[in-house]
Amino acid sequence: MNEENQFHISFFKPTTERARRNRNKVVVLVSIWAIAVFGFHFLLKAIEKPTPEPVLLEFNKVWDKVKADEASTAEMQVFAKSVLQVTGKVFIQPNHRAAFNNGLTWATFKLADSAQKVAIKEALVDFEKVAKNVEMLTDDKYQSAKSKLAALAAVPLGLNSNELIAKFLPLELRSSMMDSFSEKQKAVVAEAMPFYTIHNQSVLTDTKFLGFPFHYFYTAVFLLILFIGICWFYSYSTDRINKKLGIYE
Amino acid sequence: MKKFIIPLIILLLPTLAQAAVGATQLEGGFKVGPSIILIAILVTFVLVGIFFRAKDTTDFYAAGRSISKVGSGMAIASNWMSAASFLGMAALMYGSGYHGLAYVVGWTGGYVLLLVLMAGQIRKYGKYTAADFIGDRYYSQSMRAVGAIIAILISISYCVGQFVGIGLMFKWIMGLDYQWAVVIGGSVVLAYTLISGMLGVTKNMQIQYVIIIISFLIPLFILMFKFDYFWVLPQIGYGSVVTDVVQGVPVSDIAGMVNSMGHDFAIVPSPEYAMPWDPSTGKTFFQWMAIAFSLMIGTAGLPHVLQRFYIVPKASDARWSVVWGLFFICILYWSAPVYSALGKILSANPEVGKLAKDAIVVYTAQLGDVNPLIVGLLAAGGVSAAFSTVSGLLVAGASAFSHDLYVKVINPKASPKLQLTMARAGTILMAIIVILIAILELGLIGELVAVAFSLAGCTIFPLFLLGIWWSGSNRQGAIAGLIVGGLVSLIAILYFIAGKQGIELPFAEFIGYYLQAWYFAWIGAPLSILTNIIVSKMTAKTPLEIRKFLVEQVHS
Repeated sequence: MNEENQFHISFFKPTTERARRNRNKVVVLVSIWAIAVFGFHFLLKAIEKPTPEPVLLEFNKVWDKVKADEASTAEMQVFAKSVLQVTGKVFIQPNHRAAFNNGLTWATFKLADSAQKVAIKEALVDFEKVAKNVEMLTDDKYQSAKSKLAALAAVPLGLNSNELIAKFLPLELRSSMMDSFSEKQKAVVAEAMPFYTIHNQSVLTDTKFLGFPFHYFYTAVFLLILFIGICWFYSYSTDRINKKLGIYE
Repeated sequence: MKKFIIPLIILLLPTLAQAAVGATQLEGGFKVGPSIILIAILVTFVLVGIFFRAKDTTDFYAAGRSISKVGSGMAIASNWMSAASFLGMAALMYGSGYHGLAYVVGWTGGYVLLLVLMAGQIRKYGKYTAADFIGDRYYSQSMRAVGAIIAILISISYCVGQFVGIGLMFKWIMGLDYQWAVVIGGSVVLAYTLISGMLGVTKNMQIQYVIIIISFLIPLFILMFKFDYFWVLPQIGYGSVVTDVVQGVPVSDIAGMVNSMGHDFAIVPSPEYAMPWDPSTGKTFFQWMAIAFSLMIGTAGLPHVLQRFYIVPKASDARWSVVWGLFFICILYWSAPVYSALGKILSANPEVGKLAKDAIVVYTAQLGDVNPLIVGLLAAGGVSAAFSTVSGLLVAGASAFSHDLYVKVINPKASPKLQLTMARAGTILMAIIVILIAILELGLIGELVAVAFSLAGCTIFPLFLLGIWWSGSNRQGAIAGLIVGGLVSLIAILYFIAGKQGIELPFAEFIGYYLQAWYFAWIGAPLSILTNIIVSKMTAKTPLEIRKFLVEQVHS
């Protein structure tokens, strides 16, 4: 072999024993790395099933009647509770929140008798006025206006004041939305409910491991351990091969 | 040293205790305690730099030779852990749930590639900067100049995210507007870099790591203990927090546990937090994979990361420093999701309002009613993480400007004094550019930093990968590959900026999705590698001396 062709480096065509061993090791480790990261997520994608939350199933049972304005008291209460469950999620798009607030406020006033309506309306307007100017949430005036509205509005909706969603209730009512629930807003609610309550689930997400959903543990904890393990093995075995072959770097 | 520190602490204690009282609001005004902690930490960094400073240039470059592999790993971790790791990761998980884990995996998995494909070989190549390697391996002064320019662009892009983090923390500590906070915080980091830039030796980095990790972990143990989770190992114990977020925590279960605003420690069932690519997060399976892949190859292409391997004594040390570095990095990366999960429950009441996601680490500690001084330590840790990375990046960018561009290409006869002036001018210029971009608030910290990774993945990574592992890759191939990688980067960044400015370009939706600024390397890097290979095959062979060097020095 002349000098011109003698000096050539190619990962896939190693020319020395050390390079060959290194290539094999790198191929194995990178394959493990790729399968562990990307292979697992392809699997997660392949076996996932869009799974609705129970709240969506409840909502779907009553929605047609609510939409047609034919719902019974119990059905309206189910509707209101379902909407409240969703507005309690941390991130809701502003247009969706507006539609949910509309549906909830409308349902609350629809369920209230005339005396309750007057009292809730008065408390709601008062709360909105106080909330607009409040600087600290611990403000006594704000807290008392909120508690009063929560207690009044929970009654027609059949909510227990200890329930979490009952605590959100005053924050989701709007005095400007109590009279009607437009077709446009109904369409937004119908579209938004599944958007927030259908999730990609599978046996990998539903199985628990050390308290985690398994897939979450795998990605957030295990993969990092694996990366360190791969790096450790590579460094250890490279030192060992170098020693064995008498190579001093 | 002790003579000064102990009286100073005694003197400051009453002030700190008083400061603790006024710092209970999520935002609020100027916070004395956190300010003092921040100043104390920065002064410590500068003092450590002075005490352990290198005696001469050789000592500076060989700093790693006198310390252990563990110490070298800590230095790598300190260099790596920026505002994106400290603040940005928890923000991404808080806002997008499982999607945020693509960043965790991407920013750690890349070290596997870096180790098995590059670390040892880079050390054996024996250059000091990425531009040096590119110019030498591809036997071209123009490539060296382009390499230097890319290194500067990557540094700027990386710094933008850091300055956003610095701005947010200065806003929180000083009670300023975000814009003013960026300007003031940016000026402080610039002054800090100019004072301590050359002092950024390995010893300093080890101490920075210890301060950053302690400030991050202490509130975590307190929060987990306080809310009755398995606090001994929060990185495992938070599994129950994630499950609680998914299944919901009813009011009746929590027996009087409340956040600092008096809201119950309760949440409605929120599976969207943990389920993969949940529709309500607006993120898809493709985006998860593209981000993880782009960040991984970007990690193996970042000039300031690659540079760490030039200064270790031998190739074996380069490899082991990656192992230890990754372990120390993972301590933070295992912990960041804990903040986002707890933050999710603690901020679940709509009354908490919309929080700046990038400050969720600090807000979680505040909402958990952790002692304000410890929250201050946490915020100061966030600033320190950004400072340690920014000063390294500014120095790396400035040296690319003065050493690789000005001295090696423009004015080889420049005197050492002129070189230093150019380096300082470069640092100031870069800081000004970064401040101006950071003020625009173009995205979350993690996302902005991801732009730098994609840029590195499309440009530097292919040049290093092929440059080390295939002697057939020649100058023409490198130029062609760089043009393709650069073009993909340019299109992605152009569309991103146009989108932010409200300018509608053709195919905006398609490009905005498949070539988004955070992950365009998923296609840019493979295309660049492919082009490099095809053009190299079609053109003249790599010169014999380069191939000989690769065989005898790099792969011997």
